[in-house]
Amino acid sequence: MDLKAIGEDLGLEEEEFLEIVELFLETAEMDIDRLKQALSDSDIQALNEAAHSLKGSAGNLGFTEIYTLSKEIENATRDNALATIPPVLESIEKLKGNIQAALTAKST
Amino acid sequence: MSPSFTILVADDNPVNRKLMAKTLQKEGFRIVTAGSGKEARRMAAAEPPDLILLDIRMPGETGFDVIKHFKADARTASIPVIFLTGVTDVDSKIEGFNLGAVDYITKPFHPQEVSARVSLHLKLSIATNSLINSQAEKLRQLTEAQASFLITPEQEPGARFGVDYMALHEAGGDFYDVLHISDDIYGYFVADFSGHDISTGYLTSSVKGLLKQNCTQVYTPMESMNLINGVLVEILPAEKYLTACYARLNRQKGLLGIVFSGHPPVCYVPKGGPPRLVGAAGDPMGMFQSALFGLTTLNVSEGDRIYIYTDGLVESPSTKKTWHSETGKMIDACDKARSIPIQLAPQTVSAHLCPNRDTQEDDMVILALEV
Repeated sequence: MDLKAIGEDLGLEEEEFLEIVELFLETAEMDIDRLKQALSDSDIQALNEAAHSLKGSAGNLGFTEIYTLSKEIENATRDNALATIPPVLESIEKLKGNIQAALTAKST
Repeated sequence: MSPSFTILVADDNPVNRKLMAKTLQKEGFRIVTAGSGKEARRMAAAEPPDLILLDIRMPGETGFDVIKHFKADARTASIPVIFLTGVTDVDSKIEGFNLGAVDYITKPFHPQEVSARVSLHLKLSIATNSLINSQAEKLRQLTEAQASFLITPEQEPGARFGVDYMALHEAGGDFYDVLHISDDIYGYFVADFSGHDISTGYLTSSVKGLLKQNCTQVYTPMESMNLINGVLVEILPAEKYLTACYARLNRQKGLLGIVFSGHPPVCYVPKGGPPRLVGAAGDPMGMFQSALFGLTTLNVSEGDRIYIYTDGLVESPSTKKTWHSETGKMIDACDKARSIPIQLAPQTVSAHLCPNRDTQEDDMVILALEV
């Protein structure tokens, strides 16, 4: 994962972009926690909102895989297909881990 | 306080807020952010911004509720509002326009698209106010005409420039100006009027006014020069025109855009490299509406210098000095002035090129800027 290149695509210097990626990881963590809680509560509204939030940040930063997966969760809430969500959530967490690793590698 | 436009960004997603803020700040805008509709309304009422970017889908008050409030309040009713919406939401777009938004941007957005649309709508907003502005400006110019209007390096220290201004006669001379566009963006303008007599005095104060009005951060250097040319064609007498060079430096991005209007090339002295001339062909200003100017963009870094000068410095009919023969001398002179502080560098260069001021045949100006 070349964070510098993704940042350049957005017209940002590496340092500025990494700052925003850090913020993204923080908010993504909160969104993922919200998703997990909403799943166990079977709270469709909360699921939808958390997925929408995650989709928004990921999309704007160019993290298209997380964007697509979050969109899948959003669609699942509309179709009331909650059972399909857990594996998707797992994939998102994995991808988030990759970004975290790429970010950590940059600062060492 | 920096003479910049203020943009209010309202979005409940902190990542989006930060992304838009960073992108727009690089263009020289001042950004204030709000995380909710309520906060957006409060901030806009306290200090009306020049433009508002508004997310539609926010918890609590939606973007639509917020636009309605803005349009109902005289303080904020005329501020252009661009809203941000999900790509499948056609109904939102229509509703937004009906409520008075000027444009929409679909998410996910590319930050540079946001920049472009913000500039566009600020320009449109300026145009609708410009009638009022131009009348006020005319009045101001009449009273300022008597005052000294050639800006000194001390008056604008953030611009990091030096200038050597050598007029042949008291009332005439070439013209230069330095513009503080925002804290990281400065404009440097050098011009040579055809024919030097007392009547060019009023023209220079008009050009100064035009520069102030048209070299703001929403216009590219080429757009600024085109706008100014449009007015000059109307107000200049038939036999008058000017050759000019306008350089716009964005320190945050390390970019220098230079527009050439029948003007000699500039001398670029990179901090860690040999000097070279950079130029482009372009029509003079004030002659025809359809004039085409030359444009060059340089990637620059701290410590680089650029010297802008008028042709009086390097041409002389009597001694048959022409531009071509003086190129080497110019590059050499700028190279030698590397370690001289920027405010004094121009004098060093002109002394090298024209040691004998008594034989000066034309107005000359040399303006140096340091990144």
